[in-house]
Amino acid sequence: MDLLQRFTHGEIDAFETLVRQFQGDIYAWTVRIVRDPGVAEDLTVETLWRIYRARHRFRPDGNFGAWARRIATNLAIDHLRRNRPEQSFPTEPAGVAQPDPLLQRETRERIQQAFCRLPAKLQVAATLALVEELPYDEIASALGTSVGAVKLRVFRAVRILRKRLSQAGIRPE
Amino acid sequence: MKEHEDKYMTEHNDRQIRDALKQSFPPVNIELMRDLWPEVLRKLDARQVGVPWYDWALVGLSAVMFLAFPRLVLVFAYHL
Repeated sequence: MDLLQRFTHGEIDAFETLVRQFQGDIYAWTVRIVRDPGVAEDLTVETLWRIYRARHRFRPDGNFGAWARRIATNLAIDHLRRNRPEQSFPTEPAGVAQPDPLLQRETRERIQQAFCRLPAKLQVAATLALVEELPYDEIASALGTSVGAVKLRVFRAVRILRKRLSQAGIRPE
Repeated sequence: MKEHEDKYMTEHNDRQIRDALKQSFPPVNIELMRDLWPEVLRKLDARQVGVPWYDWALVGLSAVMFLAFPRLVLVFAYHL
C-alpha cells in the first residue's frame, strides 16, 4: 500500500511523513496570503489537522499538494474575513506624491489599509497575482476556480482600490 | 480619440496601483523556521480527548432519577 493510501486509511505514520513533506509548502503559501509568520504557522497547523480529519474524502490517486493548498487557501480567506480592519478609511486628501519619507510611509500604510478592506476573495487573488506575481493558473488551482475568474477578481480588486484611493486623495506614484 | 485617452489613463493608473501595492507590501520570508509536526500531533490528541458516552449516560440517568424522585437529591447529598 502506498503512502497516500495508508494516509486515507488513517495511519498516523503515513500522515507524519506527509506533514514533514508538505508543511513547508503549505506554510509558504499561507504566509504569502496572510503576510504574518505567526498567523501563517497557526493556520498551517489548522490546515494539517483539517487534512487529517478530511482524509476519507481524499482520493489516493489525486494531487495531495494541490488539495492541501486549497484547504490552506480557504482557511486563509476565512482568517482574512474574521480579521478585517475595523476603522473606516479616512477621506481627507493626503499623501499626494510627496517626497517626504514620513508622508510616503503614511501613504503606504493607507494603501495597505485600503487593500485589507477589500473583500477577502478579491484580496487573496490580488495579493497572489500582483504582490507575489504568481502564475494565474497556480492561483486558480488553489482557489478552486478558473483562470478567467481569477483575472476578474484581480481586475475588480484594482478598480475598487483605485476608487478608494482616489476618494482619499491618494495618488500612488 | 477621447476613448483611447481614457483607456490609456486607466491602464496607466492600474499600473500605478500595481506598483504601489508592490511597494506597500514588502516581501515575506516564506521559509518555515520550525517543524510543526509536534503541534499537529498535540492538536490531534487534544481533539480526540472527549467525554466518553457512558459518562454522559450516567449524567442523563442521574438527571432522570432526580426529576422522578426529588428526595433522592437529599440522599445523594448526604453520601457526598
